[in-house]
Amino acid sequence: MRFRDVAVTLYLTSAIVFIFVPVAILVQYSFQDGLVPVPPFRGFSLRWWVSMLANRRLMEALGNSVVVGAASSFVAVLLGFLAAYGLARARPRHAGRLQFGLMAPLTVPYIIIALGLLNTFGAIGVGRSLVTVGIGHAVINLPLCFAIVYSQLGAHQANIERAAHDLGASDLQALLLITVPMLWPALLAAFFIAFTLSWDEFVIAFLLSRFDVTLPVVIWNMLNARLDPTLNAVGTLVFAISIGLVIVVALLLFRWGRRHG
Amino acid sequence: MAEPIVRLDGICKRYDGAAAVERLDLDIAAGEFLVLLGPSGSGKTTILSMIGGFALPTEGRVLIAGEDVTELPPAKRPTATVFQDYALFPHLSVRSNVGFGLAMRRVPKPERHRRAEAMLKLVGLEGFGDRSVHQLSGGQQQRVALARAIAVEPKVLLLDEPLGALDLALRRQMQEELVRIQKRLGTTFVHVTHDQEEAMSIADRVVVMNKGRVEDVGPPSRVYLRPASLFTASFMGESNILPGEVVEATANAAWIKTAAGILTVPATAKVGETVTLSIRPEQLQIGRSEGGIALGNGRIRETSFQGTHMRARAVLPASGADVLLRAPVSANLAVGDMVELSVRPADIAVLER
Repeated sequence: MRFRDVAVTLYLTSAIVFIFVPVAILVQYSFQDGLVPVPPFRGFSLRWWVSMLANRRLMEALGNSVVVGAASSFVAVLLGFLAAYGLARARPRHAGRLQFGLMAPLTVPYIIIALGLLNTFGAIGVGRSLVTVGIGHAVINLPLCFAIVYSQLGAHQANIERAAHDLGASDLQALLLITVPMLWPALLAAFFIAFTLSWDEFVIAFLLSRFDVTLPVVIWNMLNARLDPTLNAVGTLVFAISIGLVIVVALLLFRWGRRHG
Repeated sequence: MAEPIVRLDGICKRYDGAAAVERLDLDIAAGEFLVLLGPSGSGKTTILSMIGGFALPTEGRVLIAGEDVTELPPAKRPTATVFQDYALFPHLSVRSNVGFGLAMRRVPKPERHRRAEAMLKLVGLEGFGDRSVHQLSGGQQQRVALARAIAVEPKVLLLDEPLGALDLALRRQMQEELVRIQKRLGTTFVHVTHDQEEAMSIADRVVVMNKGRVEDVGPPSRVYLRPASLFTASFMGESNILPGEVVEATANAAWIKTAAGILTVPATAKVGETVTLSIRPEQLQIGRSEGGIALGNGRIRETSFQGTHMRARAVLPASGADVLLRAPVSANLAVGDMVELSVRPADIAVLER
């Protein structure tokens, strides 16, 4: 075997062992009958799924996660689009520095962002709630949304907007009839990626929330209490939704790539 | 000239002090097919942008149909542009692309569709209205861009190297179609290109640009055959450039001493003046010609077959001058042949610069 084959085999094996096997085990245990999630497989059962659906706290948290994810992603996409559009079209004097400033939060650890927001909210007298969690998620997702949209605002897109103006469109008409629809796949992709990140996010959600919490925080609390196989069902659900969103993004980008490639 | 449709009144454009276009005065007649020709960076696209409203002149005024439009945005000008990259709206159908300008003018939908179809028919894309622009070839996208621009019935259509991305055969076909459509609509076309053959085949009048300055303006045949400047002479095609000195002059003829001998040209000049002459390769005649100046025998040094003609280099042994010829393939030139060369005085251009 040549070195390349060895390297490829090693890489694939590790990917499977460290990424897919844990997920597969989790999914399997969510359908396993019995209180202790240990091998061997003891027979198929939906009791943990039923237990999850019956758990009001879990279901509330699921709803909270969806609301926080959707709202914070919407805000991040909106602000990211406006920043990208302004930077690409108005070309302000210090565009490079502004771009750096917008991207900089990407390099800050979530826990530091959470602490900073916690102090700020404390200082201005805003209590911890789902709103503060949403603001935190908008903060961490803004750079990503900005970068995705900015990358799609090149010279060709500028010419397309110029053509709209040339044919009589006002600034608002060009924005609403041409720019936004033209960027629709990028905006949707940014939204779903932001949603996925918010959906999985724990540190900020934990530190900035109080009574109402998101799903990862409830999972954390349950983990601390006792070993409950219901968590396997919750984990499987969280994973399934994340994967579903990733597939949506991949399809969007694939279709788009074909149209523009 | 009657009232010009476009008047560029002393416009110039500077970026950070560097001039993209030097002070320029130019009138464009209604219904004219004008071509701005020049190498990249010559300022031709900047001129187009200033007419279309995409660039503000640093100085001077732009008048369209007698109205000062210098400060007006593109949307408020009676111009429409065909962009180099077509700039079609990717999310709209072909019909909606063509009808976009009409929609902005609040033309009702049925009327808009009818006119969009008529435009598509004009550019040879009848029945393509429902397609997505991604389903079209480059040549078809080009036609949609043209249809979209003429649908708003502009007084002046601006074309920014629209044929640059097409292959040669398609480019020739589109050149013919542009001329056909222009004559049919009677719209003024201002077309930018760096391809001198394209310019000659479509233009009523060519403006040759170099480094932000106008080198020459005139009908293609005049600009090609009697170029005003050295730049124009070499940019418009191959040429024999002969520097010389006026040795004798009368009121309407001058005798100029060059490396190819003394040539008589019908021009006014002063004795002792140095001038530059340009002779197109196809104007050097093989054999003696009626009224031609004999240049003596040349020895063929190099030949190449070009399909429609033979391109050859010859040395005039008497002076050692090297000249470029274009002979019919039937002349059957071979390296080492001695040929008698002559040129008619009327075919010699005296360059002003």
